[in-house]
Amino acid sequence: MRHIPTLLRRELASYFLGPMALLVVLAFQAIALLNFWELVESLARNNVGYSGLRDPLNTYISGSPPFWIGMLVAIPALTMRLVAEERRSGTIEPLLTAPVTEVEVVVSKWLAGVGMYLVLLVPFALYLPFLYYQGHYNFDVGPVVSLGIGLSTMGMMFVAIGLFFSSLTRNQIVAAVLTFATVFMMIVLSSAGYAYATYRRAAWAEAIQFVSILHQASTFGTGQLDLRFLSLHLSVAVLMLYLTVKVLEYRREG
Amino acid sequence: MIEVERLSKLYHSARAVDRVSFGVGRGEIVGLLGPNGAGKTTTMRMLTTFLAPTSGRAVLSGHDVLDEPLEVRKKVGYLPENVPLYPEMRVREYLNYRSRLKDVPRSRRRAAVDGVLERCKLVDVESRVLGHLSKGYRQRVGLAEAMVHDPDILVLDEPTAGLDPMQIREVRALIRELGERHTIVLSTHIMSEVEAVCGRVIMIVKGKVALDDRLDHLQTQSAIIIEARGPAPAIRKALEATPGVKRVGLTDHQGDVARFEVQALDDADLREDLARRVVQNGWALRVLDLRRSSLEERFVRAVRDASIARDAESEYPTGTEAA
Repeated sequence: MRHIPTLLRRELASYFLGPMALLVVLAFQAIALLNFWELVESLARNNVGYSGLRDPLNTYISGSPPFWIGMLVAIPALTMRLVAEERRSGTIEPLLTAPVTEVEVVVSKWLAGVGMYLVLLVPFALYLPFLYYQGHYNFDVGPVVSLGIGLSTMGMMFVAIGLFFSSLTRNQIVAAVLTFATVFMMIVLSSAGYAYATYRRAAWAEAIQFVSILHQASTFGTGQLDLRFLSLHLSVAVLMLYLTVKVLEYRREG
Repeated sequence: MIEVERLSKLYHSARAVDRVSFGVGRGEIVGLLGPNGAGKTTTMRMLTTFLAPTSGRAVLSGHDVLDEPLEVRKKVGYLPENVPLYPEMRVREYLNYRSRLKDVPRSRRRAAVDGVLERCKLVDVESRVLGHLSKGYRQRVGLAEAMVHDPDILVLDEPTAGLDPMQIREVRALIRELGERHTIVLSTHIMSEVEAVCGRVIMIVKGKVALDDRLDHLQTQSAIIIEARGPAPAIRKALEATPGVKRVGLTDHQGDVARFEVQALDDADLREDLARRVVQNGWALRVLDLRRSSLEERFVRAVRDASIARDAESEYPTGTEAA
């Protein structure tokens, strides 16, 4: 595990030296700006009752379509090259003939991806103090913190999924498409499925609601730090990392 | 330093490397020579633990590639084919990064990187981005990287591929120099490279060792070239009848002029005897020459023999294989 800082530094450096990460960060900055604008606008309107899902801070991040569309694009964009690019360019050969273990390589790539993911969320957090101190809108800090934690573990899961698909192929596009499809299912199809299930009054509505990312995010946004969701995210992340290590180990068999 | 026993690698069902065995002693420079696709790269990848052997074993510096891959990696410096590098990194930054991965102690890291930059003549380009380097410099960065942790063994896969003649000379000189401190296994399909650099050659053809011998020993083997005017079968018979002749081969036949390659027992110089034979029979002697049989001929012969053996093997499967 002692090589992780070295590997992590290289991964982060290569993120910031390539155009992809910067574009994604820029896009998220734009989304954050627009959403904040919308938030301030809606708060400026008087006498509107807010409650539950209509909570303004919930609309700011977890209830905002641009945010999730951005996520759908950002996750594949950030994770697709992690292993696929090393396989394509052949740099995986010097990497895995240095005295480092597959676990070290996978964990540091994952940490780099999670780091970039958190960088995407930073602009959203940056605006809030202005709202609090400048705008004197004394929102409750608790839900913001629980949303932050929930989105972080969610990101750990997303990045692990992207990393796994990236390890399967030497083609970044294939990795991106597979990751996109999976994340799309988790974000969009699960919510659509939930809507359909409730419409049909089906028994599996509750089950699909549990895995629906949007539902999880809105729960976090209302200040409920549901540990079941956190453990779901973290166990999926660990499983994906384990599978990625196995894929890299299996590669030695040729 | 390196012990390889019956090492095999199966890709799906194709045998890329087939029961290869050899040993390399400390300080030797060994050339793995073979046509493209012979299994050189696969062999090297197994030695460097990038690939796991299907069967057989390889022990480097006392560590087995399957049991202690991390220990092997610490003792081996590897220059992969085509030298894959991270294009966005700078030369010194890359060597620093690699020396950290390879556990060069912090106190020695700077000296180690400075040392390899110096030895590979990279000081001028140390702050250049790797993606912008020419092929020759990339190759040198790869070499510098391979030896930054001062390994016992260097495994170099086609170290001069794609270089211009001047760069090839430089890289070869560098490898010879490295041979004084490290055990080196390098692969190539260029015969003259082996002759220029290596002390020993292992020919790999179709995944098998076709020849394993010291170069100075190989070079003493000589052949006598005779060209004469006359009936080829009769001349051949006469040459074969000369005492001390081991083998006679007809290498060329145009009109009534025939060209033979004669190999003598114990490398005796039979030129005078052979010339007398030809002249006594009334044939005109056109060429008489003693030639050290070149590595190239040995190579071509080994490739040919191997493919004949392989064909025979596949046509008439032996009992053990059929079972």
